[in-house]
Amino acid sequence: MDNQKILSDLSKFLTPEQINTNADDLYDARADRYKKYAKAKKVVDTPSPTAIVYPKDAEEVQKLLEYCNANQVNVIPRAGKTATEGGLENWKEHTLVIDCKNLDKIVKIDTYNMQATVQAGVQLQRLEDELRPLGYTAGHSPQSKPVAQYGGLVATRSIGQFSTLYGGIEDMLVGLECVFPDGHISRIKNVSRRAGGPDIRHIAMGNEGSLCFITEVTVKIFKYYPDNNKFYGYLIKDVDTGIKVLREVVANGYRPSVARTYSEEDAKQHFYHFHEGKSVLIFMAEGPLGIVNATGEGIEAAVEKFKDGIVKQVDSKLIETWFNHLNWSQQDLDDERQGMIDNDKHDGFTTEISADWETIPKIYYNVVNRIRNEFPRAKDITMLGGHSSHSYINGTNMYFVYNYDIKAEPEDEMRLYHHPIQTIIVEETLKLGGSMCHHHGIGKYRNQWTEEEHGSAYYMLEKLKAAFDPNGIMNFGTIFPQAEGVKYQQLDKQ
Amino acid sequence: MKIICLAKFIPDVDHFVYDYERNVLVRENMDLVLNPDDACALAYALALKKNRQDVEVEVLSMAPLSLLPNLKELLRLGADRGVLISDAFFSGSDTYATSCIIARYLADAQYDVILSGTHALDGDTEHVPVQVAELLGLDHMAYIVRFDDDSFLNGTCVFESEFDNANARFRVRLPCVLGVLAESRYKLPFVRYENLDLNVDDRVTVVTNEELGFSHEEVGIAGSLTKVASTWQPQMKKKEQVIVGNDDEGIETVFQFLKKEGYMP
Repeated sequence: MDNQKILSDLSKFLTPEQINTNADDLYDARADRYKKYAKAKKVVDTPSPTAIVYPKDAEEVQKLLEYCNANQVNVIPRAGKTATEGGLENWKEHTLVIDCKNLDKIVKIDTYNMQATVQAGVQLQRLEDELRPLGYTAGHSPQSKPVAQYGGLVATRSIGQFSTLYGGIEDMLVGLECVFPDGHISRIKNVSRRAGGPDIRHIAMGNEGSLCFITEVTVKIFKYYPDNNKFYGYLIKDVDTGIKVLREVVANGYRPSVARTYSEEDAKQHFYHFHEGKSVLIFMAEGPLGIVNATGEGIEAAVEKFKDGIVKQVDSKLIETWFNHLNWSQQDLDDERQGMIDNDKHDGFTTEISADWETIPKIYYNVVNRIRNEFPRAKDITMLGGHSSHSYINGTNMYFVYNYDIKAEPEDEMRLYHHPIQTIIVEETLKLGGSMCHHHGIGKYRNQWTEEEHGSAYYMLEKLKAAFDPNGIMNFGTIFPQAEGVKYQQLDKQ
Repeated sequence: MKIICLAKFIPDVDHFVYDYERNVLVRENMDLVLNPDDACALAYALALKKNRQDVEVEVLSMAPLSLLPNLKELLRLGADRGVLISDAFFSGSDTYATSCIIARYLADAQYDVILSGTHALDGDTEHVPVQVAELLGLDHMAYIVRFDDDSFLNGTCVFESEFDNANARFRVRLPCVLGVLAESRYKLPFVRYENLDLNVDDRVTVVTNEELGFSHEEVGIAGSLTKVASTWQPQMKKKEQVIVGNDDEGIETVFQFLKKEGYMP
């Protein structure tokens, strides 16, 4: 099997417009945002895929997967292209990137039953734009909202900025259609709830393209009450205070759509116009007026309880304005890319973890101390902090954010900076029983810890892989560690 | 072809810490970096070496022994050889004595061209390369912002110099001493991952007065005729920080500030 033969075979069941072999596009498909700097500098060393293909329906996906399965061709499912952990990086000479560009139909918006069905390539923003005039919202708002597509959101267990009220994608997903490597098409029906054995939505959800290809999803929709929105912002003494107030609000049963606390360093970059060198705590309450008012009272009561740690309240308009400019668009991504080419620097990296309320502050301080004291290039760090942005009844997440002067060639940046920092974050998190991946997925650069993340339950993951993808053609190296991939991970000298 | 690059290490002025209360520079833990103009000269030499198999690059620095690790880093970047002129005997040498010391080493060295920076960021010692050229009887040109692609072929070098807002092209016979400007934007690479721990000890030579043979009167404080008439400490003021709101008043404040500072017409 060689790439020419693959292309020749593809032409038997796809039109020329559905097969992309443009050199620039194939270079772009070598890696995702994990290697954003090396990619912008044109030094990514992983192989280009054979082609990017654009099926028009589940049946064409079926043919593609059957072909790849029979011929040992690696498959990278792609929808939205905003991956940050190497999930879209290619490690195989013979690879098809199956892109959801042509799976772009909004199949049905059903306001009575409060659900919408879309194909995998529908952008979240597009559905939201359709829902808003009807008085509804998808309730999902990751920072990548203008670019992200539903197939990718579901495949990576995405979460959005309003998750404390609406939940993560797992709380929104009703049913889906997906295709397995052997060509079997499964449709999981759309029901409000059922007890029909294990919840099989979770086999597809979060599979990161390593088990199946998602072609269609049905998600819940919600009534939208923008006029009732209330914003709250506070300067606070430290991260601990912020976590305590978040816990108080959520544990008391309130569900603000946004509940966040930022470390001093992180607050400095987000709230440069009012942070005053302090940590920041913010809330947004939305929904029916009665609920918003009650939520507001709950927030104020929690703040009052921990008033010793509250420095002062800030103008709510500042918080509202900030929220309205939070998402990054394709233009923002393009601007960052050009900035990397011109200025040899980028906007930094993030690593997101989760744990229970008690453990999160410990992880935060352990991580920051270790990075400051053990990371060999600590003096190059220009920013190191974090924020908690998604809270649950029993815990929250911590979104570590960091940037540095890149004193390395683009080829070496990740193994000299991001990966060693991420390693410290993951090690400290796993040591205290947290999860190393709150919402970015495992991708290819956290797969070295997949087994440790899952412990004895890793058995279940392995069995799923063996059952659904026995030939190992689905997104080689993603989630599941592969010896052959180590040369690309370049982790040998950490 | 052999290029010798003169290298001066200076305090990292981009990342200094200033004690505004005592009005002194905090020198503890201050990094030393290669003088920016010198870095561009070396960057050009290394880029030429990458493209031409016959190019050999030697880095020459005069500094305390404590700077040996800094010199070794330059070898890990791709320079073939490093020479550190270092001896307590030379302590206190002024720029003229320094030029004599460097020139004496170079008098017995093999090279086709000597590259240096044009300016030194830490104390206007840019006349050292000029004096070295004079002592060696070589031509000297500086303010170089670009070398032609066919430089260093046929015994000449063609380059463009920028001085007093004018650019001029020159062709100079080799050997010579050439000063490069940071504005050339020749960029020094970073040490590659696989070379971070590379042992380069066998490619570094420390030259002392034992090899150069100066007398006590020729170098050091005794041999330095430059006398310091007076020194003063520049007064630095902490910049005032103004926080403005994201409103019309804030925008007006920023606008007026930019106008005052000359960034707006």
